[in-house]
Amino acid sequence: MSAAITTHNLTKRYGDLTALENFDLEVAQGSIFGLLGPNGAGKTTLIRVLTTLMRQTSGEAFIEGLDTRSNGREIRRLIGVVSQENSLDRYLTARENLELHARLHGMENRHYRKRIDELLELMGLAARQNDFPDTYSGGMQRRLVVTRALLHEPRVLFLDEPTTGLDPQSRRAVWDYIKSIAGSMTIFLTTHYLEEAEQLCDRIAIMDHGKLIALGSTQELKDRLTGGTFYLIEFGEDAERYGAILRAMACVREIEVDGRTVCVGLNSWECLSEVVTALNGAPVRRIALRERTLEDVFISLTGEKVRE
Amino acid sequence: MFKGAFAIWRRDMLVLRRSILSELVAVVAYPLTIYLAFGIGMKGYIGLVDGVPYSMFIAPGLITMTAVNAAYSESTWSLWFHRKVQFTIESYRVTPISVSEIVIAKIMSGFSHGLVKGLAVGLVIFAITPFRFSPVNLLAYLAFLIPGSALFSCAGVICGTVMDKPETIGKVEAVFIMPLIFMSGLFFPLSSYPANVISWIRVLPTTSLFEGARQALVSGGFPLASALHVAITALLAFAAAVWIFRLKMSE
Repeated sequence: MSAAITTHNLTKRYGDLTALENFDLEVAQGSIFGLLGPNGAGKTTLIRVLTTLMRQTSGEAFIEGLDTRSNGREIRRLIGVVSQENSLDRYLTARENLELHARLHGMENRHYRKRIDELLELMGLAARQNDFPDTYSGGMQRRLVVTRALLHEPRVLFLDEPTTGLDPQSRRAVWDYIKSIAGSMTIFLTTHYLEEAEQLCDRIAIMDHGKLIALGSTQELKDRLTGGTFYLIEFGEDAERYGAILRAMACVREIEVDGRTVCVGLNSWECLSEVVTALNGAPVRRIALRERTLEDVFISLTGEKVRE
Repeated sequence: MFKGAFAIWRRDMLVLRRSILSELVAVVAYPLTIYLAFGIGMKGYIGLVDGVPYSMFIAPGLITMTAVNAAYSESTWSLWFHRKVQFTIESYRVTPISVSEIVIAKIMSGFSHGLVKGLAVGLVIFAITPFRFSPVNLLAYLAFLIPGSALFSCAGVICGTVMDKPETIGKVEAVFIMPLIFMSGLFFPLSSYPANVISWIRVLPTTSLFEGARQALVSGGFPLASALHVAITALLAFAAAVWIFRLKMSE
């Protein structure tokens, strides 16, 4: 499968600050690609370079094979962008916002009218198309921004934190829509919600300090982190004592006691039978597998310290 | 090439059309008050200025002032608002139009605001006062009003591009724009200035604008040098506005 987005040694500096450093990336056509990173990691800079809003200091970036430095206009014909801010025109109605966008893309009048009708219907905004965006809920505004980005049928859709600030219902509605268009275009998504990346993305990149630090599917990233499995064991009493017994076992990597619950990290799942044998006669109430989450991966790679 | 610029200009005109009544009431009130206070209230004390009644002396300047002020305000605030508050400039920039088209659209919009509001004030002054002029004079006057509005629209675009804080925009208006207008002989003849100051005042494009506009509308004259001065300054301001906006967008 050919690449929709490619970067080679992409670097962007603002004076002494390096926002992107020798960034190499390849996003397959038709895939949903997630980019994660703490605040200031360089995600927005990368999106700005890829959407031709900003020039890199060095290195190369290609969208559908077109160089961002020399084919800005052609690239902007191929991409749709949902930025962090809503950037809707509050002095135009929803429909007028879409019409303006269509004209900026040089779409023919008869073509865009039909397309707007279809999309408004699809996004559940048809009944409110003549209202101003200020009168919309946050979720509706976001849906309108997504509608605008899809109007000219882009081949690559950039979604920069598309669900930030939305309630869970609206967030799920946006997710459902993204899933429904998956495959018909390449989707490049940045998000702070790791659950969102986990739900939507085929592949995920984690970046920090302008560098790519991990890349793979959710499962690949989790596997890379764990190297073992965790179980939660709840005791009726004496959790401390049983914790000490388990700590002495060779196959137990780490252990944490919290009240009546002991979290046991095993070298592999095969060790579980040894643990169960060791706890023969103990007042065990519950044993549950604790899945590693993408958040565990993210924190382990980028640290727990809060970024400015 | 200019399809994008036309689309943005069309958007701005749609918004203007929606609020035209309230805009015109606000725009007409200020120059009309000045006209009534100075032109009529002071008429008995001032008499003739440069051979014409004072009310007639200040009328072309008030119409021109309304136009250039409107052009400046629309360009500055519109660009600042779309850039810093609404982020619409960003949404334009991810479409296949050029940065130049965006800035040209904003200059055209400011210019159109200026022209519409200036002519509205002219009509009101024409309707409620004895100020009269030949329709032929209007053509010569437009030769000043059009580049003058364009010049202030470009100045507005430059301010709206480089200034990130709204209070700075207000300060520039108070410290540069209004003095430029008032010092250019809007309310008094240039002969009132000391002789050694006049040559400096004549360097200002606003002096050529207000003097030329007055001569054109009141007496039907067409001072070519003044018209060229305004037109050339407007062209330079246009080039500067496009260059500064492109530079800012590339940051």
